[in-house]
Amino acid sequence: MFASDMSLPNMLYGRVLKSAHSHARVKAMDVAGAEAMGAVTLTPDEVPDVVYCPRLVSIPEATYRDWRVLTDKPRYVGEPIGAVAAESEEEAQRALEAVEVEYEVLGASFDALDAMRPEAEAIHERIYLEDDLLDVESNVGCALDITEGDPKALEDADVVIERTYRTNRRYHNQLEPKSVLVRPEPDGGVSIWSTTQTIHNTRLLIHDIYGIPVGKIRVYKVALGGSFGSSIHVNPVVNIAVGLALKSGRPVKMSYTREEDIRDHCSYQMIFKLKLGANRDGKLAGGRLEAYLDIGAHQIQAYPLLGCVVGWWVSLYKLPYVEYTGKAVYTNKVPSCAFRGYGNPQITWVVETMMDELAGELGVDPLDFRLNNYIGEGDLFWGQGPSVKSIIRSCGVEEILTKGAEMVDWYNRPKAGAQTGRFRRGWGVGRGYHTSSAGAPVPSSIVDFGGAMLKMNEDGTFDYVSALMDHGCGTQDAHVKIVAEELCVPVEKVNIIKADTGTTIYDVCTHASRGVYSGGGAALKVAGKVKTQIREFAGRILDAYPHAVRIRYDEEGDRTVVYAEGIEGREVTYREVAETARHKNWGTVSALESYRQPSCPPHFTGYFIEVEVDTWTGKVKPLRVVAGADIGTVINPLLAAGQVHGGMAQGWSMSLLEDTPYDPETGDLVNGGSIANYKVPTSNDLLDLDDFTVFFADTYEPTGPFGAKGLGEGALNPVAGTVANAIQDALGVRFFELPITPIKVLEALREKEG
Amino acid sequence: MMEIEITINGRKRRFDVEPNKLLLNLVRDDLHLTGTKYGCGIGECGACTVHLDGEAVLSCMVLAVDADGRTVDTIEGVADVNNLDPVQEAYIEEGAIQCGFCTPGFVMTTKALLAENPDPSEAEIREYLKGNYCRCTGYVNIVRAVQSAARKLGS
Repeated sequence: MFASDMSLPNMLYGRVLKSAHSHARVKAMDVAGAEAMGAVTLTPDEVPDVVYCPRLVSIPEATYRDWRVLTDKPRYVGEPIGAVAAESEEEAQRALEAVEVEYEVLGASFDALDAMRPEAEAIHERIYLEDDLLDVESNVGCALDITEGDPKALEDADVVIERTYRTNRRYHNQLEPKSVLVRPEPDGGVSIWSTTQTIHNTRLLIHDIYGIPVGKIRVYKVALGGSFGSSIHVNPVVNIAVGLALKSGRPVKMSYTREEDIRDHCSYQMIFKLKLGANRDGKLAGGRLEAYLDIGAHQIQAYPLLGCVVGWWVSLYKLPYVEYTGKAVYTNKVPSCAFRGYGNPQITWVVETMMDELAGELGVDPLDFRLNNYIGEGDLFWGQGPSVKSIIRSCGVEEILTKGAEMVDWYNRPKAGAQTGRFRRGWGVGRGYHTSSAGAPVPSSIVDFGGAMLKMNEDGTFDYVSALMDHGCGTQDAHVKIVAEELCVPVEKVNIIKADTGTTIYDVCTHASRGVYSGGGAALKVAGKVKTQIREFAGRILDAYPHAVRIRYDEEGDRTVVYAEGIEGREVTYREVAETARHKNWGTVSALESYRQPSCPPHFTGYFIEVEVDTWTGKVKPLRVVAGADIGTVINPLLAAGQVHGGMAQGWSMSLLEDTPYDPETGDLVNGGSIANYKVPTSNDLLDLDDFTVFFADTYEPTGPFGAKGLGEGALNPVAGTVANAIQDALGVRFFELPITPIKVLEALREKEG
Repeated sequence: MMEIEITINGRKRRFDVEPNKLLLNLVRDDLHLTGTKYGCGIGECGACTVHLDGEAVLSCMVLAVDADGRTVDTIEGVADVNNLDPVQEAYIEEGAIQCGFCTPGFVMTTKALLAENPDPSEAEIREYLKGNYCRCTGYVNIVRAVQSAARKLGS
């Protein structure tokens, strides 16, 4: 059951009133017409005067706040300025259309660099950081500069390349549009079923906004129809529905249409100026990166992202000198949020593109150049930003690249660049990684811990309870496998219990590819504690030492047995342990634990992609893909491969198809919100089964549960860079703007070949 | 209001509906058969796929009144409580389900494909499924699931 499938007796349907202008002041709002129709209305002056940030993953010192539940100064087309609730969705829509709004239209900016010009209209004048009210200058919401090492290293480099790059602004297009059901409770609290990656942070934000005591807010886990980062923050529709439910005293359901959803969230468009230097010995000398993040109209996680962009960059390859200046810039567009990889696919596209260019300048093979410079085992890793540092303990980069190279016969690939026919082929290589969680040996600006509860039932089975959300990555499946492995039981003996904020302890969020590594770490911790208790109780029953008893699964009897090896008759089943504990009043075998991981090990990925470019149409087709991943121990091979397949598909369309440009005249999306004009691949646009190979490196992460790391984001991160390199190989043309559309291909070819 | 009669998942049901009511909304809101999903409302994503007289259709593009006198089958009707349909089994076994939101639509389309063409080639599978959109799997395990389902049904 998904949030959008939920319903309750006596519920109202809510609809959001959205700004028709990209930047305006609401001078007057008349809801009399809507109320005359029997609708409940909600206006900006009826919601709490609280300025918040919808994402509560970072600590307050790193969380800039500029959001209100409903605003009277909308900053993008589609920003919620009011809401109604009525007996049916249709009645709600009619009531919405009866609301009259008078706007004072203000100037707007649709490009990050434009927005920074002195004459640009201020999108926010002041924003909050903790208790401080900060002035916003030049529409820069926040900034981060970091310099490390000796600048001479870069100045003296034998080869230096400097380029400007611009990424696309992609829409998550998760299958389930954002949705919520809220029920006001008699005790003044609320129950919430919503599209979210974090039930506990949803509860905390509703507490912050509405002042309801935390314990009276119950947020329930429901299935999530895809998300890819778009519900790390609490979706605006949730906060609005709570307001409507509190005002009406009735349950309220709100489900966005697809056209509303595409005006709700998107990825960060980034403009990079990158300078990289290398020496004739094949080593990188250093780099300078200027990053301009187009964050849209509000901050969701701009400041932590500025840290991650530099972190992702410097943790790819060893750079003796690093100079970074990052700015997060407001524009009058849909607010940007994390999208699978959290800036990593963007910066990896840039770096992997430039690595190929540098290799060409140095006259070395691009694969060898990468092998000569990558950051691996024993090196310092700070992908999650400057406050999250740990040492890499497992690394499969070399295995991925050398094995992949063998599989595609990389060093004997056809020499490209000199083709003249209509169809031209090229091979690209690219690599990347992503963090698994945001753990570290010391506290950082990011909260990263979770927790779990495990109890033994009276029949010797187990109930597992965790707040961690599963949005389709097989996370809970993996937890069950981890618990079952530790306790020597088949997976069927471990139940996943439906849970909510009242029945679970805190887990920060399912993001940062932390579900298996961090969440699974908590699962292993409680399983270990439960195992210790089972040993103690079994020891009492068997008159044996708890540390000496052994545990095995008896397949024939479908039971798990605790026994004293070599001593006849000294064995007892889990069921008997649980029954005896109950009859003798020893208590329930159970454990409840919070867990923080000591590091955030990168999971590494590498792609080899062959493409074919049709020089008449500009269309690019994938011919062959070999993808390798180092995720430590592979807990679920089928779903792990599925993550790579999905990463390839999203990376492919990031490279070639996806974008949400704006029309400066209307201030709205060029596609008008229609996904008929938002291109993504179908089953027919991708590779045949025989042409797509996925393999996993043989590694073991010492800090992970049974050696496991994450995968979800690393599966995507290198794809765009690899595809771009393959296109360059085919055409001898390099592109500095995503997506590489057919028109761009044709224009570039015309420029090159006439 | 218009009076219509539809055989839904094998049972005859009568409804009074507005002429503008979508079959999707009849199924989800009135019958609470929420396995059929709203994904886009404009016939792009396939999440709302049901069978109308055995043929896969997008229920967001069909008016409820157009289903009058006809047979509608939804995902809830493909299996009984204790036994999954072989297509559903194949999707689970092949890891073809990630978030699961698109799955009911894919299963309905797959069933229609295999009824028409019990032994489809990979190209035929990909062509038939191209109106169903999945953002998680990259379609690899889905294509494998359809092949596996074809084998199950053929044996």
